[in-house]
Amino acid sequence: MSEDRPATGPRQRIERLGAAALDGLAATGQLAGMLGATWRGVVRGRRPPGEVANQMFVVGNKSLLFVAVTLGFIGMVMVYQSCLQLERITGDLSRIGPEFLKLLVQDFGPTITALMLATRVGAGIAAEIGSMVVTEQVDALRMSGVTPIDYLIAPRFIACVVMGAVLTVFGVAIAYLAGGLTAWSSFDLNPRLFFDPSRVGFLDLGLGLTKTLCYGMAIPVISGACGLRARGGSEGVGAATTAAVIGSSLAVIALDLVISGVGLLLVGHGR
Amino acid sequence: MTGARRAALRSPIETLGATAMQVAREAGGITLLAGRVLRCLVPPSMDGRELTRNMYRMGNRSVPIVALTAFFVGGIMVIQAGMYVRQFNATGLVGWGAGYAIFREIGPVLIALMFSGRVGSNNTAELGTMTVTEQLDGLRALAIDPIRYLIVPRVVAMMVMLFILTVVGDLVSIAGGMLFSRLLIGIDPSTFYYSLVDNLDWIDFVHGLVKSAVFGLSIALTSCYFGVSVRGGAVGVGRAVNAAVVAAAVSIMLLDFFLTFLLP
Amino acid sequence: MDLDIPPGSRFGLIGPAAGGKSVLLKLLVGLIAADAGEVTIGDDKVTGASEDALMAVRQRVGMLFQNYALFDFLSVGENVAFPLVRRGVPRDEIDQRVRDRLRAVGLAGSEGKLPSELSGGMKKRVGIARATVARPEIVLYDEPTAGLDPVTTSKIYDLIRADQAETGCTVVAVSSDVDALVGFADRVAMLHQGEIRYQGPAAAVRDAGDPAVRQFVRGELEGPL
Repeated sequence: MSEDRPATGPRQRIERLGAAALDGLAATGQLAGMLGATWRGVVRGRRPPGEVANQMFVVGNKSLLFVAVTLGFIGMVMVYQSCLQLERITGDLSRIGPEFLKLLVQDFGPTITALMLATRVGAGIAAEIGSMVVTEQVDALRMSGVTPIDYLIAPRFIACVVMGAVLTVFGVAIAYLAGGLTAWSSFDLNPRLFFDPSRVGFLDLGLGLTKTLCYGMAIPVISGACGLRARGGSEGVGAATTAAVIGSSLAVIALDLVISGVGLLLVGHGR
Repeated sequence: MTGARRAALRSPIETLGATAMQVAREAGGITLLAGRVLRCLVPPSMDGRELTRNMYRMGNRSVPIVALTAFFVGGIMVIQAGMYVRQFNATGLVGWGAGYAIFREIGPVLIALMFSGRVGSNNTAELGTMTVTEQLDGLRALAIDPIRYLIVPRVVAMMVMLFILTVVGDLVSIAGGMLFSRLLIGIDPSTFYYSLVDNLDWIDFVHGLVKSAVFGLSIALTSCYFGVSVRGGAVGVGRAVNAAVVAAAVSIMLLDFFLTFLLP
Repeated sequence: MDLDIPPGSRFGLIGPAAGGKSVLLKLLVGLIAADAGEVTIGDDKVTGASEDALMAVRQRVGMLFQNYALFDFLSVGENVAFPLVRRGVPRDEIDQRVRDRLRAVGLAGSEGKLPSELSGGMKKRVGIARATVARPEIVLYDEPTAGLDPVTTSKIYDLIRADQAETGCTVVAVSSDVDALVGFADRVAMLHQGEIRYQGPAAAVRDAGDPAVRQFVRGELEGPL
């Protein structure tokens, strides 16, 4: 493994950094190409009948409990930590509920749900497609006149975009509810003060929706690409799955930064 | 896919029960593994070379991904804080808000999730491949205890490395926050810095680091457990990696919740 | 290297393990892109063709993969029907041809089973049924008998031969089981270290001029290999 060898000097380190940056750029280019091919596949619609519904069921069924548990706990923790700090500094907890909802809708809800989907669904896609690659099933598909993108990636892509949105709404609701319960039980905050959606504007909804859709597209494309690149036996499938988790998580965070930055500029110009 | 179809036909209660049984079996397996690892650690005896090799490998491999994630996260936190700065004109609070969130919550949790994706899943894949190619049985045949030889060094290495990576990540994240607050909302790095050190305590920093060590332990145990219990070739390894990262994510969130209440 | 496979022949490709035989087979249909050189099937160029153009070429080719590559999410019947479904053949004709094919490979009535319920030899036969169901002009067999006992091996080659006699297709088979393959093929080539060391009639391969080829075919210990 080349990763095990230490770099011998500063020059090699810089060279390696440059090589990594170039690799990253090339990978981004390939992913953009694959996103285009996936869209073509979606439009062309050459996929097995019922496969989209099947994949939607798989994505939703696999992740519902997972998203509920993780988003529920993170909602409780975030509200608890914020209340703790606000009590120390300002002592006024009345605004926490509306502000929490705003933050959930425009950033944390979509992003954390997407990180969970990258873990659950992204890894699943890479493992499944990677296994098909190493057992030559993908070659067999191509021999039968089917492109793996049309047949395997496109249905998962549609399922991820749609179910990603559904799960995000669900996750936001769970986190908000759990947060409200925490504020009520640990800090005696009146739920009526907490459950107040007045701070959520159209810009917040727009930002949240944009993020949800972008994440929903990025996860299946990146994970699918990792799966299709799998080589060798079980090591190859394991490596593909690992790469899918890390690649799609990083993509989610990077997209979050970019879209949030644009959102901040929009707010700035709006006022 | 046929499995999913079949699952859909089962009654929801049956599915729920099966899931509960599955979770119980896995939690039990992980606890048993934790006990066996602990027994090897009292008194501490393990393969030193294997430990340093794993520490180097795991740490080295994750620095870029952790640094990149932390840098982005610093930016995201500043942008979120920036929305309020515009509104309330509270430039003096950005460093505090971003620092508090990064040190106590977002830093440890996100770095742990990335570490789980990079090192944990890789560990599962590696142990899983060794299991399906009967290398673990090979070790036993040579009278070497795979737990002591393979698992214990990995568990210790992951705990230590995640702790160190979280320190690094926290610092990178703050640096990223300073840079982005200068670029996007025009706050001076010194304003950011004083806002952070004046309002935050060492305890906030330590709070996050204690969490990271516990997360490291749980990632190590889940990834090793799913690695050594792989069944069924390449397909099984892929499935095990998937299950391991999911279990690690759930345990990170659960432990985060309990630690938040337990720690000062 | 230069390899010429005459239409309608039974062509065998032999050579030591890990010598690039399977890779060569995949190059023929563009499953792996060639770095250099040219592959043509009839008048169609494979090298440098777009994926869409390759799809048209592959319609004329059937392939049996080394590890069967049966779709594990489809039943045996659906697996065999797969190439036909993609070609838009009417439903009842598909059913008819799937039934005929499965009977021909000795697996009549197992349409509803899943690939995971079959033994290795049965999976191979399902793979052969899938490779030949669309009556392609060319059928590629990658290690059709690897891991099978001698009796099953003979049965598989009989099956391929009978099938070829019926349709007149070109058969290209790759195997490291020299004796069985040389008995089956009318022409053979030997691939060793990226070079074609022999190309000619199967009957003459035992007495080939190249000592490496002779050694490999006869299974001798002494020699250049």
